[in-house]
Amino acid sequence: MSDFHNQSQASARRSDYVWQYEYYDDEEPVSFEGLKAHRYSIVIGFWVGLAVFVIFMFFVLTLLTKTGAPHQENPEHAEKHHRPGSCLADNGSPQDENERAFSRPLLPESRSFFHFYISEEEQGQGKCKAEDQGGGAIQGQRARNRLGGVSSSGMEEMEEEGEESEERQPLQGLVDEGKSDRESAFLSHFNIPNFVNLEHSSTLGEDDLLLCEPSAMLGSQSRSQDAHRNIN
Amino acid sequence: AITAKSDCPEVEVPVPLFFTIGVVGLAENFLVVVAVICNRNLHSPMYCFICSLAAFNTIASLAKTWENLMLVFAGVGQLDQRGSSETKLDDVMDSLLCMSFVGSIFSFMAIAVDRYITIFHALRYHNIMTMRRTAAILGVIWTTCGVLAMLMVRFFDTIFIMTCFIIFFLISLVLIGCLYVYMFMLARIHARRIAALPTSGSGALTLTILFGAFVVCWAPFFLHLIIIMVCPLNPYCECYRSLFQLHVVLLMSHALIDPAIYAFRSAELRHTFRKMLLCSDWR
Repeated sequence: MSDFHNQSQASARRSDYVWQYEYYDDEEPVSFEGLKAHRYSIVIGFWVGLAVFVIFMFFVLTLLTKTGAPHQENPEHAEKHHRPGSCLADNGSPQDENERAFSRPLLPESRSFFHFYISEEEQGQGKCKAEDQGGGAIQGQRARNRLGGVSSSGMEEMEEEGEESEERQPLQGLVDEGKSDRESAFLSHFNIPNFVNLEHSSTLGEDDLLLCEPSAMLGSQSRSQDAHRNIN
Repeated sequence: AITAKSDCPEVEVPVPLFFTIGVVGLAENFLVVVAVICNRNLHSPMYCFICSLAAFNTIASLAKTWENLMLVFAGVGQLDQRGSSETKLDDVMDSLLCMSFVGSIFSFMAIAVDRYITIFHALRYHNIMTMRRTAAILGVIWTTCGVLAMLMVRFFDTIFIMTCFIIFFLISLVLIGCLYVYMFMLARIHARRIAALPTSGSGALTLTILFGAFVVCWAPFFLHLIIIMVCPLNPYCECYRSLFQLHVVLLMSHALIDPAIYAFRSAELRHTFRKMLLCSDWR
């Protein structure tokens, strides 16, 4: 592209803006007399502006996150909700939500749901948390497998991740999710926050295919997965 | 006429650096393409878009490396810089570059839309984004880019093309940014409801990296295009233009870091790489 540059620099000096392929230096030098500001001021200004923009964006996004959940600033609070070692998110209190999860016929599409719970894998929040996330997703998925709500052909359509092939095996029970490869297989599908919209009413209306009450459709489904994840 | 000894001499990037970035970017993206094609588990819409992005980046790296090679040969004296075949070849490569830039922007948009549908229309995702539609979308993207490339070869000297290019870049920047921020904000609402956010700052960081890399790598080059059109004679603008090679290096390094942002995040893809590179029991 340096040819491009030469040519464009040369021909940009002409008023007719015709670009020809010529490789000579500028004939009409730009005068540098009487510059008020530093000559690289556009460059500096541009990069400073860009840096400010990126940092500003980061802070805005972080602020958005922080003003979200009230618990998130308390890591032990979240920590003690996770069973150490077992990556089975428990089916503790949100039992009714689990029930709802289980009573629902599993649609093939909802399989892609599980990808939402996949945060970026380099989360330093603790392996167990990550395992719980993956485990919760796997558990819910396997539970659905067990229900037979999904035909295997339905599963086969969903070749989104290779790790999914592992879940096609029949459920024996809630297998341990301690395996790091399965955990890492779940993490990382999504690079952006792994939360599903709850209240987006138009979406809920369209996707009202399940047995639960419409307002909690997507929310409850995701909530059930999150309940798996977040052992309260 | 006074020979132009500008106060802002053009900043030269050493050719080996160009080559390194070009070759590494080429290798990375080509590996991604091969991995996605060879592994049947990765035949899903999202990976198809990632593969398309990697293919465009491959083309960009290839064209840029080849152009560097030609420039080196021309500098050494092996090639006639003004020969018609060389200039034609240069034209072709510049248009390949433009085509791949446009194509990678299209791929970014496709990935963003795919993610959007995955999140907000999750239950109907597999009806909305079938493999057929994916193939159709990719066909449209590649055809458009091919047509654009041919147009550029023909009409490279019109300012209209550049204006379109810039406007296209700005529009897609805004679109992609809005999509991602929208997804993020709705995800935040969800996070608030479940009242537990194990990964508090990470979503923000990921989004920042994603978007920040895009903007940081592409904006300087596009500002260069704008400045060429708007203020060719201004000394400040000339000093900005003198950094052209740096901006191209930035653009090329975006092809380098794209796989890290999109493709290598997937464990399955990394697993495929390990298999491929270590030549262990493939298949």
